[in-house]
Amino acid sequence: MNRLGNQSPQERTECTQGESEMRVNCGQRSMCMNQRSGPALLCLLSLFAAICFPHLAVAQEISAYRVGKIITMNEKDEVINNAVLIVRDGKIAEIGKASQVQIPEGAEVIEMSQCWLVPGFVELHNHSAGASTDLHDYVYLTNPDLRTLESVNPGTENFKLARAGGVTSALLISGSGTNMSGLGTVIKFAEGQMDDVVLKFPGSIKIAQAGNPERYWYRVGRSFMNYNTRQTLAAAQKYHRAWLDFESGKSTEQPLFDPIYDPFRDLFRGKFIASMHTQQFQVVMMSILMIQGEFGIKTVLDHSTFDGYKNAPTLHDHKDIVTIVGPRQLYFDPTQRRIFGIAQRWWQGAVRTLGINTDSPVIPQEELSYQAAMACYYGWRTYEAIRGLTRIGAEALLLEDRIGSLSPGKDADFCIWSGDPIDPRSVCWITVIDGKVVRDARNELRRF
Amino acid sequence: MRVISHDSSTAKSRSHCILLCLLSLFAAIAFASGAQAQERRPRRPQPEQAPPAEPPPAPPAEEKQEVKDRWLAVLNGKVHTASGPVLDGVTILCRNGRIAEIGPNLTLPDDCEQLDAAGHFVYPGLIAVRSQGIHGGGSPEDGTDVFSFNMSLALGAGITTAVTGDTAAKLTYGTLEGMIVKRGLFESLSYNSRDPAGKRRVREGLDRVRQHLRDVAAHEEEKRLNPEAKAPDDKWIRGPYATYLRLLKGEAAALVDANSAWELLQLADLAETYGIRIVVRGAYEAWTVAPKLSRAGMAAIITPRQRVDENTRSNRPTGSTIENARILHERGIRVAVTPTGSLFGPGYGISLGGLAGRDLLHLALEAAFAVRGGLSNSEAIKTVTIDAARILGIDSRVGSIEVGKDADFVITDGDLLHYMTLVRWTVVNGRIAYDKDKEGIYSHIRPGGDVNAPPPDEYWPRRLGVEWRRSRDVNAQP
Repeated sequence: MNRLGNQSPQERTECTQGESEMRVNCGQRSMCMNQRSGPALLCLLSLFAAICFPHLAVAQEISAYRVGKIITMNEKDEVINNAVLIVRDGKIAEIGKASQVQIPEGAEVIEMSQCWLVPGFVELHNHSAGASTDLHDYVYLTNPDLRTLESVNPGTENFKLARAGGVTSALLISGSGTNMSGLGTVIKFAEGQMDDVVLKFPGSIKIAQAGNPERYWYRVGRSFMNYNTRQTLAAAQKYHRAWLDFESGKSTEQPLFDPIYDPFRDLFRGKFIASMHTQQFQVVMMSILMIQGEFGIKTVLDHSTFDGYKNAPTLHDHKDIVTIVGPRQLYFDPTQRRIFGIAQRWWQGAVRTLGINTDSPVIPQEELSYQAAMACYYGWRTYEAIRGLTRIGAEALLLEDRIGSLSPGKDADFCIWSGDPIDPRSVCWITVIDGKVVRDARNELRRF
Repeated sequence: MRVISHDSSTAKSRSHCILLCLLSLFAAIAFASGAQAQERRPRRPQPEQAPPAEPPPAPPAEEKQEVKDRWLAVLNGKVHTASGPVLDGVTILCRNGRIAEIGPNLTLPDDCEQLDAAGHFVYPGLIAVRSQGIHGGGSPEDGTDVFSFNMSLALGAGITTAVTGDTAAKLTYGTLEGMIVKRGLFESLSYNSRDPAGKRRVREGLDRVRQHLRDVAAHEEEKRLNPEAKAPDDKWIRGPYATYLRLLKGEAAALVDANSAWELLQLADLAETYGIRIVVRGAYEAWTVAPKLSRAGMAAIITPRQRVDENTRSNRPTGSTIENARILHERGIRVAVTPTGSLFGPGYGISLGGLAGRDLLHLALEAAFAVRGGLSNSEAIKTVTIDAARILGIDSRVGSIEVGKDADFVITDGDLLHYMTLVRWTVVNGRIAYDKDKEGIYSHIRPGGDVNAPPPDEYWPRRLGVEWRRSRDVNAQP
């Protein structure tokens, strides 16, 4: 597993500076060559690159960003004013106050002293892998082995617009029309080929508890859907245990390989998560009690909307569940005659692993931060919302050692904003993924 | 029934009194339905002691009580006038729904209602240039429930005037008084490439009416020499020709939905050729042809974050940009903003479906997206206030805070365009139409600005409760 995601960074560090420049401009892995094949050609191409794409040719070995404020989102929740961030080979090398960090010689310096540098946002719920429509196949009521990986289409308008909204990573999942609709893919909104884009596969398994799978052709109801989900998970768990027994020597009989149940093995090992399409009090309750409670699966409560927040006390016994709110941000409670911010209600229920999602294309991917703005309009707070867009998402995906916060050694995925990234008035000027500038809007007409 | 029983008892005088009232009421109804009704009225024998019902004596003309002035003073706020400067700590004094005076240390009349806006921002009431679901259909004063929940929601979003159909109507919560601002805002015109023959018909119609106007002018000349001269026939000026006449005379602007550069250029041509005013709605490609639109004197109603991909099969710049509002403004084109929609409804409606931020409940934040595109904060505020009013032709009454204009304000706890700003009060025609604390819909969100406030108590069953409702209760005793 994770084969696509884990290979690419090593390959990338093997590439020389010239090669990575070429890859920016040619966009083809086949053009990536080693140094023996003609330095003259390399120079020529670099020159060509510098002339044609001056704003993209930042992919040097070392670059330094001098900004007004860095929100690191690290464990200490550090916010550094007048700060410098050094990128080396696609990773963050150093981060600190401008007075304390030495900018290495030869580094390209990007000076934006009025701006904020914020980790790239992590979207946990995106359906528009490559197309602008929902990524979904209604084959059976339970299709756990369908793969979104096959649908990823880098380089679409959606990718570009996501960068414009400061989003650098996303979990692409299939829709909620069936109880289990397949395996999700974690991608970066990077330029290039699949290796550059795919960060982790499988990233999650999509399970829909209610509120869409009912549309399946024979009109299933909630009790059957719960039965169906439980049966599938139980069968998968049995399969996993049979293999565990065989692997540990408890059993000598090798189980038959099953392509449907095999991906569940990593799910039960806790290597990836279940993306639960769940909403409303009762349905969220079942997601917590069944998926996490009965099967011990790492769970992310996607949507978590309507009055789902009433489960906050139940959630206290299931600490490692991550809750993400969206695309609905408000809930009108007719009994109270009040409009509640859903994120705020979870927060007031002392739920702290709280994130935000768009369900793109329901809400366009670039408006992820506007979803957070809405959560704040209805009561949530700015810093917690930024954390919900960054570190919480990375933690949910079990990728917190690579993305979602800024500290030395992590991927250089960040954006430079004109100010508070939650404010719809702020502009995301520069987006950097793996140390490479994939958007620089300072000298171009902005779509978003 | 017991009240009008024939028993003479100790409660006789009281029962007489009630009887009198009932009879008066009955008489009033009977009179209203026609004079004849009174003749047929008595079906039941009248009690002997009952005095005849008579109308209350009319007061003598000279003693006629004058209608008392209704005063409201908004004190200590930071006043964003929209048409002029920001005035810190001034008082706005309103008389009978109009702004009477603005300034520091004003002397207030004795019976003046006072609204202390210290620490708050005062803006002109927001204008929704297109709306659905706030007022009723048809003529708003006949179709609107002035106690509707949607009206409270829209007031809570700071909206005080909304266009419904082709009427600009106020959100006069609890009253019909002063609801209509202007009827017949626009003439609608269909002029697009999907109907080429229709386009030709429009031009031919405009030509014919323009010739008629010339004939009328020539006739005026001729009359001086020959008083007997026959006036040109104008009986045919009906239907679309009447529309063209209003457009050519400059009595109305045409409202046209148009988006692509090609359609916009065609409209600009039409506007220039005939000298008519055109307001385009949509206009996401207007940034590509802004100079031309500016020269034609066009105005635009746009959605700054409208998202339309580039048309790769075109020979010109296409698609949407967040910078549309800025580019149009810099080219001198007046811009009003209307929100983008969602799966659950159009941006000009009100949706409680939950997809927040994509309807009129967040009109101000749509203007904030114009700032993302490079427009200044103050210009962006104008797109939902004074510039919207100018496009609608109602700027003599609403859209800015100036003496003589209507007393419509939105008073917020912060910068109007910030995402954590909530409306504290909304004033329409000098009346407080929305009060966050009393209304209850949002009162639990940052009460008094406290981000750490605990959640509100839950209660069941539903109650509308507080004094606000009681004071607004239609059945309440005065």
